[in-house]
Amino acid sequence: MACVYIPVQNSEEEVRVALDQLPKDASDILDILKAEQAPLDLWLIIAREYFKQGKLDQFRQILEEGSSPEIDDYYADVRYERIAILNALGAYYSYLGKIETKQREKEEHFILATQYYNKASRIDMHEPSTWVGKGQLLLAKGEVDQASAAFKIVLDGDHDNVPALLGQACVEFNRGRYSDSLELYKRALQVYPNCPAAVRLGIGLCRYKLGQFEKAQQAFERVLQLDPENVEALVALAIMDLRTNEAAGIRKGMVKMQRAFEIYPYCAMALNYLANHFFFTGQHFLVEQLTETALAVTNHGPTKSHSYYNLARSYHSKGDYEKAGLYYMASVKEVNKPHEFVFPYYGLGQVQLKLGDFRSALSNFEKVLEVYPDNCETLKSVGHIYVQLGQADKGQEFLRKATKIDPRDAQAFLELGELLISSDTGAALDAFKTARTLFKKGGQEVPIELLNNIGVLQFERGDFQLAQQTFEEALGDGIWLSFINDEKKSFVDAAASILQFKEMQLFHDLESNGHHVEVPWDKVTVLFNLARLLELLNKSGAASILYRLILFKYPDYIDAYLRLAAIAKARNNILLSIELVNDALKVNEKCPNALSMLGELELRNDDWVKAKETLRAASDATDGKDSYATLSLGNWNYFAAVRNEKRNPKLEATHLEKAKELYTRVLIQHSANLYAANGAGVVLAEKGHFDVSKDIFTQVQEAASGSVFVQMPDVWINLAHVYFAQGNFALAVKMYQNCLRKFYHNTDSQILLYLARTHYEAEQWQDCIKTLLRAIHLAPSNYTLRFDAGVAMQKFSASTLQKAKRTADEVRATVAELQNAVRIFSQLSAASNLHIHGFDEKKIETHVGYCNHLLSAAKVHLEAAEREEQQMRQRQELARQVALAEEARRKAEEQRKYQLERRKQEDELKRVQQQEEHFKRVKEQWKSSTHSSKRRERSDDEDGGPNEKRRRKGGKRRKKDKHSKSHYDTEEIGEMIDEQENEFEDADINYREPDAQINDDDGAEENAQGLLAAAGLEDSDVDDRTAAPSTISRRRQALSDSDDDDEPLQRHSSPIGENSAYLQDSDGEVKDRGRTNEDFASDDEKEN
Amino acid sequence: MKLAALKSVDNAHDESVWAVTWVPATSSRSPLLLTGSLDETVRLWRSDDLVPERTNTGHCLGVASVAAHPLGSIAASSSLDSFVRVFDVDSNATIATLEAPPSEVWQLKFDPKGSILAVAGGSSASVKLWDTSTWELVATLSIPRPEGPKPTDRSSSKKFVLSVAWSPDGKRLACGSMDGTLSVFDVARGKFLHHLEGHHMPVRSLAYSPYDPRLLFTASDDAHVHMYDADGGSLVSSMSGHASWVLCLDVSPDGSAVATGSSDKTVRLWDLNMRAAVQTMSNHTDQVWGVAFRPPGGSNVRVGRLASVSDDKSITLYDYS
Repeated sequence: MACVYIPVQNSEEEVRVALDQLPKDASDILDILKAEQAPLDLWLIIAREYFKQGKLDQFRQILEEGSSPEIDDYYADVRYERIAILNALGAYYSYLGKIETKQREKEEHFILATQYYNKASRIDMHEPSTWVGKGQLLLAKGEVDQASAAFKIVLDGDHDNVPALLGQACVEFNRGRYSDSLELYKRALQVYPNCPAAVRLGIGLCRYKLGQFEKAQQAFERVLQLDPENVEALVALAIMDLRTNEAAGIRKGMVKMQRAFEIYPYCAMALNYLANHFFFTGQHFLVEQLTETALAVTNHGPTKSHSYYNLARSYHSKGDYEKAGLYYMASVKEVNKPHEFVFPYYGLGQVQLKLGDFRSALSNFEKVLEVYPDNCETLKSVGHIYVQLGQADKGQEFLRKATKIDPRDAQAFLELGELLISSDTGAALDAFKTARTLFKKGGQEVPIELLNNIGVLQFERGDFQLAQQTFEEALGDGIWLSFINDEKKSFVDAAASILQFKEMQLFHDLESNGHHVEVPWDKVTVLFNLARLLELLNKSGAASILYRLILFKYPDYIDAYLRLAAIAKARNNILLSIELVNDALKVNEKCPNALSMLGELELRNDDWVKAKETLRAASDATDGKDSYATLSLGNWNYFAAVRNEKRNPKLEATHLEKAKELYTRVLIQHSANLYAANGAGVVLAEKGHFDVSKDIFTQVQEAASGSVFVQMPDVWINLAHVYFAQGNFALAVKMYQNCLRKFYHNTDSQILLYLARTHYEAEQWQDCIKTLLRAIHLAPSNYTLRFDAGVAMQKFSASTLQKAKRTADEVRATVAELQNAVRIFSQLSAASNLHIHGFDEKKIETHVGYCNHLLSAAKVHLEAAEREEQQMRQRQELARQVALAEEARRKAEEQRKYQLERRKQEDELKRVQQQEEHFKRVKEQWKSSTHSSKRRERSDDEDGGPNEKRRRKGGKRRKKDKHSKSHYDTEEIGEMIDEQENEFEDADINYREPDAQINDDDGAEENAQGLLAAAGLEDSDVDDRTAAPSTISRRRQALSDSDDDDEPLQRHSSPIGENSAYLQDSDGEVKDRGRTNEDFASDDEKEN
Repeated sequence: MKLAALKSVDNAHDESVWAVTWVPATSSRSPLLLTGSLDETVRLWRSDDLVPERTNTGHCLGVASVAAHPLGSIAASSSLDSFVRVFDVDSNATIATLEAPPSEVWQLKFDPKGSILAVAGGSSASVKLWDTSTWELVATLSIPRPEGPKPTDRSSSKKFVLSVAWSPDGKRLACGSMDGTLSVFDVARGKFLHHLEGHHMPVRSLAYSPYDPRLLFTASDDAHVHMYDADGGSLVSSMSGHASWVLCLDVSPDGSAVATGSSDKTVRLWDLNMRAAVQTMSNHTDQVWGVAFRPPGGSNVRVGRLASVSDDKSITLYDYS
């Protein structure tokens, strides 16, 4: 039993104090100590004993008494013990300050501690233990550098001062210099091998930090051997176990963690890890309790941050985003730099994203990316946020990066695809396809939305077969298969109910026959899209059944009604179409799409006032934001402007102005609206600004090409009209023809009429007539076309007869055409009616009269022409004979020449023979002589000489011959020409009469024109052509043929008239696209 | 069943070819192909090589329809100037020139026995019947005017009759008009029977099944081919697939298939059992105005033939099997 002996003053006796039996009241001991003037070390021992027993008050009482001024006086020469007492007090208060969590009291403790140490220093400046204490105090206060200085002072004096070494090691550890720290710990251990377990703990931590996990583990285990209850070591080991990330390791780690918790329930680290564990096991109640405790017991920033993070995570997973956000924020606040602890930033980002605070979320995610630049999830989130913020490019960039880093992340490709839909459909399709492959590879079911998106994109690109496959894949097995595939129609013969677009009996029958008629909600959109596709593939029967199937199960699906109405409309079944639209309106009486469609249908029915009201309602239903309704109103005004039969200029101007205003309004809202731009162009053209309108039309045309959904034949027609108006007939013709071929399968008689009109203006009569005949063939009941054909024939004939030179064939054709014209006109006069066709019998009779007049004139022309032709033939015959005679003469001449030549040649030959003979003779004479070689040479020369000469001579002669011959020829021709001239003169005389007739005719025609103008003939000539588009507009009356500039105006009116109908169609499609997009949107929501 | 292109003649006419029919074989020759065109001529072609046999002139404006007598000796052609020319096939001698002003002339069809020529009468809203021995107008089958306070010309222009067809027994006659109305007549009694509902756009061609006198096929600008029970007055089936107007239609001699020509430049073959298009031919580059199956009969003409004519001025001959 340990006891101390207090020597009794002035005696040899001692008072024995058993240390385990110290009195409760320290005053008793103090009295003894004071009374006996016991050495100060005894004071210290007793105080320490109280401390060990946890009797802190007594401990403090003794030490405070022991450091009181009286003692200082009394024990003035006992320096070391006094210092020791002060240092003990200083250390005590340092500790209090260190563990105190309240800032004010903490500081008070530190101040007290500082005072004690300073007092100790005043007793002896150089006492190392004081410096060590000061160092510890500074460490506790976090003033690392000053602490280091304090420890250094001690170590300078004594290299092996263990407390100083430990202190310094601690300093280095805090500075992050783990290897230095490790060295210091090692030295301390060498100097004092029995030092407490804590030293080894320090070594373990250093090693851990240095990444020497095995050695660290050994160190921690040694600590536990020495001190089985050492919480830090337990926690450290537990963490190391957890780090293994294996089930066994984690279990072991958790056991250790639990033990640490049992030993000391206030270790924040252990609490955090336990909380972490319980978070993953889903015991959120425990998480909260543990982390709250941890927060209460620690002041250490990173640890607190962990605790907050755990808490936030717990709330986050429970869906309490507000609270989670607050705690994440608290956690982030405790972190100095993101790279120390980045998770709360991510969590905070997520929560902010959820709460819609994109900018804050973005900044947090970006912090995460600073630490982990390749983190896919974060990249995706950032990408997503950029998309939400409207910075699609940046969003794309991030998502692309994410997909590059992890090319197997189907979700990332999906998001990327969705992002790209609006900007680059091709790339979007690729991304979606990759996502689909990834899903399939991963053995997952491909989401229906994804397949739908792929299908729609393929659809838009015009890959209809692929799109159909994709949609069918998305739909899977179901009742619809029996409607889609022709081959599987076996048990459903839907044909009978095809016309009754509202007929549902089919499905009831199927149900009663035991078939399961079911459409899952997530497949409705795909089904709709497939039906839309079938429509485009001209399988409107199947499409109609699918739409009805949708309506059978989902009677509120307005778009299906509208598509059914559109199919009915395409087949010109207006009444049924209206009925279907009204069904749609029953579902939602303010549905702007349905209202717009109704308006168009009413226009088709020529119900102008009603149509306007309906379109107004459509516009009101969307507060004027629906471009379609506004556009339709614009069109309405335009039609109203050009439709008025009497052409009230004032009214026309107001309507035009109104139309322009409406088009402009749409353009302001949607600067890229093709239809509004087209409309604006039309109004401009109507006002005569052809150059501007041409620019507009050209741009619209360019923009409209390239999508299956945007079909804008109107703009082609309008452009052609502008070319026409500007007199560029060739281009206009080309444009009309292209338009006809491209958009109408050459079936539109109206455009043929425009084409004919252009040919007419370009005076290409036969083209004009042929074009009109084609138009009549396409639209046999359109009498206006016949009238126009008659007029074209009349005009052709008149112009042919006016020509100065024409052949008998031409005149014959003229006569034939005139007869045709007369027949057409007389047929018309019997069959037509002013009110419907815009021309009456009177007018036709005038035409007939004029044609007959021309006909009689033409007959004279014909006779003349035939006569001329005959004379021409005779002349030609004569010329032929002359030519023949000439030929004969020439041949005779040639013959003569030939013989002449031959004779000459014979002469020559003779001469040569003579020479040769002569030469032979000479040769024989020379044979005996010696100059044989020379002789040969000479003979050669002689041989060549005459030959050459002869040749030259012959050539010359021939040339001469030629000369004479050609001269002869020209003479002959001259003669012939003279003859011919004579004949021509004769002919002229013959012609004189008909010429006069022609002049007369011309005069007569002019007169007739003048006269008939009053009767309305020449007018009607033009008038009828306007009458062609008379359903919509009528042409200004007093238009004469030469009025090129004005005429185009009329032309415009009609195409726009067309527009109404076609606009509707194409817009219907556009609307649908909008729909699919909406579907995308809702799919998005579903996914989220 | 299958179509296989055998032969095409480009520029068979100088302009669009609008009409085609087969002239049945006579004892002295095999069947001939008869075509009519916008170039105002009617041409005869020898099958299978489509050798031009003869070119008939005499029409003004385009030739809109041609028809051949079932005996193969005479044929008729009509043009936009509303004349019908009846001529001897082998000699090209004009037998008669028919007109019935003010009515126009569109499709022509001889009745199966060859005693009557039916002519679609355009705006007269009627079908004119001509006796083929006297060439006199024997009857006018008029579509009844719709009931209403004031029957206007407007509605009559909608009833403009474009096409006509005889039932195989010759008892019934059906006609199609601009507004899609189909009317069925009892020929013997000269009586209108009923309308067939379903089309709302011009019906330019229609034909009865050669085996079932009730079954009527129609081709319309609404891009659909309809199959009617002409006696019962009900729509049996509606077949879609053409991208544009269906301009012409003919039923195969075996009654199991229908061929159609369309503005979408294609010729389609429809299997009547499946009620679906089984083949699409794209030999033409413009609207296909006429299709015609070769009637059976004559020597070595067991094999099926189909001819089509188009705006692209060409004729195409197919093997049908």
